[in-house]
Amino acid sequence: MKGLLTTTVGSFPKPEYLKKARAKFSRKEITMQELESLERKATEDVIRLQETLGLDILVDGEMYRGDMATFFARNMEGFKISGLVRSYGNRYYKKPVAVRKIKRTKPITTEMFKFTQKLTSKPVKGILTGPYTMTDWSFNEYYSSRKDMIIDLAYAIHDEAVDLESAGARYIQIDEPAISTRPEELDLAIDAMKIVTDGINAKTITHICYGDFEKIYPKMLELPVDQIDLEMANSNFDFLNLFKKYKFTKEIGFGVIDVHTHKTETKEYVKNGIRKALEVFSPDKVFVDPDCGLKTRTEKEAYQKLKVMAEATMDVKKELNIE
Amino acid sequence: MITTVVGNYPKIPNYPREAKLRKAIADFEKGKITKEILSRIEDDVTIEVINEQVNAGVELITDGQIRWEDAQTYFAKKIKGFSINGLIRYFDTNTYYRQPVVENKMEWLTPICVNDFRFAVKHSPVPVKAVITGPYTLARLSKNNHYSSINDLVLDLADVLAKEANALEKAGATFIQIDEPAILKYKDDFSLLNEAVKVITRNLNVKTALYTYFGDIDDLYPDILELPVDVIGLDFVMGKNNFDIIKTTSFTKELGFGIVDARNTKIEKIDEIVNNIKRISNIVPERKLYVNPNCGLEFLPRENAYNKLVNMVKAVNKVRGII
Repeated sequence: MKGLLTTTVGSFPKPEYLKKARAKFSRKEITMQELESLERKATEDVIRLQETLGLDILVDGEMYRGDMATFFARNMEGFKISGLVRSYGNRYYKKPVAVRKIKRTKPITTEMFKFTQKLTSKPVKGILTGPYTMTDWSFNEYYSSRKDMIIDLAYAIHDEAVDLESAGARYIQIDEPAISTRPEELDLAIDAMKIVTDGINAKTITHICYGDFEKIYPKMLELPVDQIDLEMANSNFDFLNLFKKYKFTKEIGFGVIDVHTHKTETKEYVKNGIRKALEVFSPDKVFVDPDCGLKTRTEKEAYQKLKVMAEATMDVKKELNIE
Repeated sequence: MITTVVGNYPKIPNYPREAKLRKAIADFEKGKITKEILSRIEDDVTIEVINEQVNAGVELITDGQIRWEDAQTYFAKKIKGFSINGLIRYFDTNTYYRQPVVENKMEWLTPICVNDFRFAVKHSPVPVKAVITGPYTLARLSKNNHYSSINDLVLDLADVLAKEANALEKAGATFIQIDEPAILKYKDDFSLLNEAVKVITRNLNVKTALYTYFGDIDDLYPDILELPVDVIGLDFVMGKNNFDIIKTTSFTKELGFGIVDARNTKIEKIDEIVNNIKRISNIVPERKLYVNPNCGLEFLPRENAYNKLVNMVKAVNKVRGII
C-alpha cells in the first residue's frame, strides 16, 4: 500500500538576513537584484531543509512573498496597496485595494517555480491565492459587486495556473482560506474555482482554514479540485466526526501541526492524529502537513515541528507497512 | 446631532509616522522592555488617537481601545471563569481574536476598562463614552464548557458587566455603550438580549446605548425599541435595509446612525453623507441622531480612518448650515 505523502502548506519563516534585506529594500537602501539574490539563497536553503527532513512534495517557502493576497495584487494590474491594518494581536499587513479593472499582464510565479524545481528532483508545488480570498482580503474602490471582482480575479489566476503547468508544475495549490467566511457565498467561490482549474491536468489542491466547516460541509466537496487541505490539529481533529457522517470524496491535506503555538507537538500526538485520519481515509488519500503556513514560527520552531511530523509519519508508515 | 465613533481606532499610523505601539509590543514580547514602559506607550498612543478624533471634529469620542487585543480577550482575561484559546475569525472580517473559553462560573473580580476610561477623560477636551462588549456577544463568541445553556451564561455575564458599568458610572462615565453585533446573527435570541441588557442598565443613571453592526435589524424591529437603553446604534452600510425597516414604526429612541463605511477605504463624498443624513432625518429627527461610522475604525489604515471622520464631520456641519 502506498500513501501518507508529506508536504507543507506553503510559507516558511524568513531568515533574519532576508527580513533585514526586505526592510532595506523598502527603504530603497538595496537594489532589487541584491534582494532577489538573497531570496534565491534563502529558497535554496528551504529546499535543502525539506530534502533533509525527507518531505515528499516540496514548496519554495515563499521567501519573496509578504502577505499572500498583497503579493499577487502587487503583480497584477488594477490594484494599489493600502497602509497597514491589523489582523490580530500585534500582526499587521498591507491590504490590496482594487482601484481599476483587475488583469494579469504577466506571469507572476513561474520564474521562481522554474528556479526552485531545478534545485530538486522532488516535485515542487505551485502555490496561488484564490480569487475568493483575494477579493475578501482586499478593499474595493472599483467594483460594484463582489461577484464581478471575484470573477475577474478567477480569470487572472487561471492564466497563472496555466503558465505554472506549462512550466512543469505537477501540483498546483490554490489557497482559499477565506472560503468558510460566508457560507452563503460558497456557490460563488465554487464557480470561481471552476474558472481557475478549468483544463488544468496537474493535481489541484485548495487550502482552507479558520473555518466553521460544519456550515460549508459537505457542499465544499463541490470545489473542482483533487485535494482539499484542512487544519485538523487546531480543532483537535474534531472534523473527522463530520467526515464519518458524510463521506469526504477527495484527497485530504491533513494538518497535524498547530502553526500558532511555539510548543512543538509530541511525536505521539502527531501519530495519533494520523491514525485517526486513517480511520476515515485510505492512506493514499492522506497528505500529511502542518495546519497552515509556517511563516509565523521561528526557523527553529518550524524545523522542530516538521521533524516531528516527518518522523511520526514514518513511524505510522512502518507500523502499517505503507510505502 | 452629535458626531461620534463606534469604538476602536487604528493603533498605528503609517510611514513616515512611527508605529510606536507595534514596536513596543514586539519589544515587550522579546523581554526588551518592561510592562510599565509598554503601558506608558499605550498611554501615549491613547492620547495621540484622542487628539486625532478631536482634530477631525468628533464631539463624543472613545479612548480608541488602544489596549484591547480584541473586544473579547480584553474582557475575558479579567473576568474570572474564562481561559483564552486559539485564534478564530471575528465575524466575516479578515481579523481574528483569541477565543475565550468558559471554564467556570463568571465573576467580576476587578475593573476591566475603568482606568482606561479615567485616563481618556483626563486627556480629552471633549466628552468620552465608555464602551463595553455586550454579554450576549461575549457569550456567543466564546466556547461554553461550563453552563448548561447559553441563557445562563449570558445572564451571568450580564451580572458581571453590570458591575463593570456601575464602576464606570462611579468613575464619572455619563455615556455607556454596550456593543452587541452578535444579536444580528441570532435574532431569535432577542428576548435573552433584552433580559441581559435590563440587568446591566437597571441601576445606571447615565445615558446608555446599544450598538449593533455588520447587518440589519430585519425581524428585530420594532422589538428592539423595547431595550432599556436611550440610544440604538444601527449599521446603514452593511445594513442598507435599515432605512426601510425603521420606517415601518416610529423610531422612539435616539439613533446611532452608522453611515460611514469603516470596512472599506473608498471615501464617502461629503455630499453623499449629507444626503444620507437628510434621508434619515425624515425618519428620526436630527436632534435625536448620533452620526458615526458603521463599526469600529480599526479595519482601516489610520490615515483612511481619519479622512473618513473628517468628511463625516464636514457633512454634519454642512447639514447644520455651518459650512
